[in-house]
Amino acid sequence: MVMLMYVRLTQMREGESGIVVDIQGGVGARQRLLGMGITPGVRIWVIKSLRPGPIIVAVGTSRIALGRGIADKIIVRRVI
Amino acid sequence: MKVVALAGNPNVGKTTIFNALTGLRQHVGNWPGVTVEKKEGIMKYKDEEFLVVDLPGTYSLTAHSIDELIARKFILEGNADVIVDVVDSSCLMRNLFLTMEILEMGVKNVVIALNKIDLAEKKGVKFNFKKMRKVLGVPVVPTNAKEGRGIAELKKIIVEMAEGKITTNPVTPVYDDIIEREISHISEILRETALAEKYNLRWLSIKLLTRDEEVIKLVLRYLGHEKMDEILQHIGELEEHYKRSLDIIIANQKYEFIDSLIHKFVTHFAEQKETLSDQLDKILTHPVYGMVSLLIIFYFLFKFVFTVGTPIQEALDSFFASLGDIIGSYITNETLRGLVVDGIIGGVGAVLSFFPLVFLLFIAMSILEDSGYMARAAVVMERIMRKFGLPGKSFIPMVLAFGCNVPAIMATRALDDERDRILTMLVNPLVPCSARMVVITFLTGVFFENHNALVAVSIYAISLGLALISALILGKFVIKGEENPFIIELPDYLIPSWGSVVIHSWERSKEFLRKAGTVILAGAVAIWYLSNYPQPVGTGLSYVEMIGKTLEPLAKLMGLDWKAAVSLIFGIIAKENVIATYGVIYGVGESGEALAVLMKQAMTPLQAFVLALVTTLYLPCIATIAAIRAEGGTKWAIVASIYNLFLATVVGILAYHLGLFILG
Repeated sequence: MVMLMYVRLTQMREGESGIVVDIQGGVGARQRLLGMGITPGVRIWVIKSLRPGPIIVAVGTSRIALGRGIADKIIVRRVI
Repeated sequence: MKVVALAGNPNVGKTTIFNALTGLRQHVGNWPGVTVEKKEGIMKYKDEEFLVVDLPGTYSLTAHSIDELIARKFILEGNADVIVDVVDSSCLMRNLFLTMEILEMGVKNVVIALNKIDLAEKKGVKFNFKKMRKVLGVPVVPTNAKEGRGIAELKKIIVEMAEGKITTNPVTPVYDDIIEREISHISEILRETALAEKYNLRWLSIKLLTRDEEVIKLVLRYLGHEKMDEILQHIGELEEHYKRSLDIIIANQKYEFIDSLIHKFVTHFAEQKETLSDQLDKILTHPVYGMVSLLIIFYFLFKFVFTVGTPIQEALDSFFASLGDIIGSYITNETLRGLVVDGIIGGVGAVLSFFPLVFLLFIAMSILEDSGYMARAAVVMERIMRKFGLPGKSFIPMVLAFGCNVPAIMATRALDDERDRILTMLVNPLVPCSARMVVITFLTGVFFENHNALVAVSIYAISLGLALISALILGKFVIKGEENPFIIELPDYLIPSWGSVVIHSWERSKEFLRKAGTVILAGAVAIWYLSNYPQPVGTGLSYVEMIGKTLEPLAKLMGLDWKAAVSLIFGIIAKENVIATYGVIYGVGESGEALAVLMKQAMTPLQAFVLALVTTLYLPCIATIAAIRAEGGTKWAIVASIYNLFLATVVGILAYHLGLFILG
C-alpha cells in the first residue's frame, strides 16, 4: 500500500506526527499560525482529530486547537 | 512618571506578574478607540513610583490584529522606559519569537521575565541563566509569579534599567544571505528619507519584505509610489525565487535562529509526550462528553453564583429600602424627599443591588479563564456557534448573560477580533438575564397555571433563537469584516491563583460601577422625575403616563395598553420593575397576589404572553446599555438599543396576531 507522504493536516490521524511543509490560505490566519509556532519545518503531532470538531495538535510543548477550515490549509509531510 | 510596559504571549502569566508588580493599585479601561482592555497600575519601589502598562497578549507583532498593532505601536513610539517581556519558560521556542519581534524593532530597554520557571523545571528543562543573559544580550530574571519568586529581583532590574544603569546588547535575528542583502538594500533606500530619524530601518525593511500593510502605508508617505513600486517588484521576484510569501520564509528563519540560540543556554530539553492536560482534553473537548462536561460545569457555576449572590442581593435591597425610610423621615420637603429617597437612593440601590451578581459572575469567569477551561469550552462550542457566524469563544458571554448581561458584555473582551466582539455584544441582550426571568416566571405563573414551565421555556427559546438569527443577519449586513478561522491555544490546565481571580474580578466590577454608575443614577433620577411630575404616577397625570398613552396605539398593535407601555419604560432601569410598576398603577404596591388577581381580570393569557415576550426582547436595561457603550462605544450602544426595540415591536405584533389567529 502506498502511503501518501504529503497530506493536509485534516487527513492526519490521531497520534500521527509530521513536519509542516506549507501553509496556504489567507495572510491573516497564516501570520497567526506563524506566531504560534506552526511554521514550515516544525514537527507537529496530532493529539485529537474527531470529525467534525476542531483538531488539536502539539507544537513543541504547546497545544493548539484548529478549526477544520484552517487545518485543511496546512500541508504536512508524514513522519512514520 | 516612568513607564514600564509588559509584553508577552497570552497565557504566560503576564497578568500575575502585573498583579505582583502593582498590587491593588490598578486601573482597568480600554485602549483609546478600540474595545481592547487596557490595564494600568502603579509599581512602588522605595520612594519612587512607576506606571505599569499591560500590553495586550500577542504571539507576534504583525499588522493583522488590533491587539498586535496596539502593542507594536506602544513600543515603536518609545512610550515605555522599560519593556518587560514575559516569557513562558516551559514553552520557550514560541515565546522567544515575540521576543525577537520586539528586539528586532531596535529597542534596547528590554528585561525578560522568564516565568513559570517551576513548571519548566518540572518538565525537565534546565537553563544556564548566565549564558542566556549573554546570548540574548538583555537581563533575564527567572520568575514564578504565582508564588512571588523572582519578583523582588525583577523590580530591582526594572528600576535600574529605568535609571539607565544597565547597558544591554540585544541579539537580533540573522537571516540567510539573500534576505540579508535585500534588507541592506531597502535600508539604503530608506536612509535617504526622514524615516531614518524616527524608525529602525532594519525593522522597517523586514516588515516591508513581509508586506506588512501598516509599514507599506507608512513608507509610501515618505518614499512615493515610484520607489515603493520598485521595492515591491523586487519583493515579488524574491517570492518567486522562494516560491513562497516572504513572511513564511522570514518567520521560518527566525525560528531557526531562535533554535540555534536556545541550544546555547538550555542544557536539558523537555520530552514531547502526552501530558495530563492532553488526557483531560480527550474528555473535555470531545463532541459528546465535552458537551456533557460543559453543561455540568456551567450548572455548578450558576449554582455557586446564585447561592452566594441572591442572599447578598436581597440583603442589599432591604438595606437600601430601610435607608430610604430612615433618611426620608428626616426630610420634610416632599419634593426633596422624593428625589433623595426614590431617585437617588433608589437609583444607587438599583446599581449596588446587582453588584454582587456582577462580581460573582466575574469571579466565575476569571476561574474559567485562568484554569484554562475557557479555551476548551470554545473548542466544544465552535462548530455550533460558527453556524451563526459567531466564534466558539462567544459562547462564554452568551452563557454569562443568563445571570446578568453586564458582566457578559464585559466578557466579550476575551474575543480576539473586533468584529466578533461587537457582534457578540449586540446580540447579547437577547439572552434573557435573571431579572427578566423574574418577569417571565411571574407572568407565566399567573396566566398559565398548568403549562407555565412550557410557556416560560418557549419565551426563552424564542429569545435565544432570535439572538442566533440576529447574529447571522447582523454579521452579514451590519458589521463588516471577515469571519476569522478558529485558531486557539490550549494552555495547560492550572489551578487559578485566587489572589489574581479576586483582584481581577474586583477591578472589573469597580470599572463597571465607575462607568455605568452615573448613567444608571441619571436614568433613575430621570424616571423618578417623569413619574412624579406634574402629578405622581397613578393619577394618570404624570409625564410617564402621558408618554404611555401616546405610545398606546403602538402597544395596541401588540394587544397591550398604556399600562404596559408605562411598565416597559420603568423596566429600562431594571427589568423586574415591569411587574412592580403594574403594582403601582393598580395601587396594590408589592402584594404579588393582589396584583395577580387584578392582572388576570384585565388581561388575556395571550396578552400576558406578549407582555412577557416583549419585556424579554425590548430595550436592554440601562446598565446593559451603559456596558455596551463602555465596551463598544456610543454608536453600538445606539444600534443595540434601536435594534432590540425594533425587534421587540415586530415580534410582539406578530406574536399577538399569530396568537389571535391560532386561538380563533
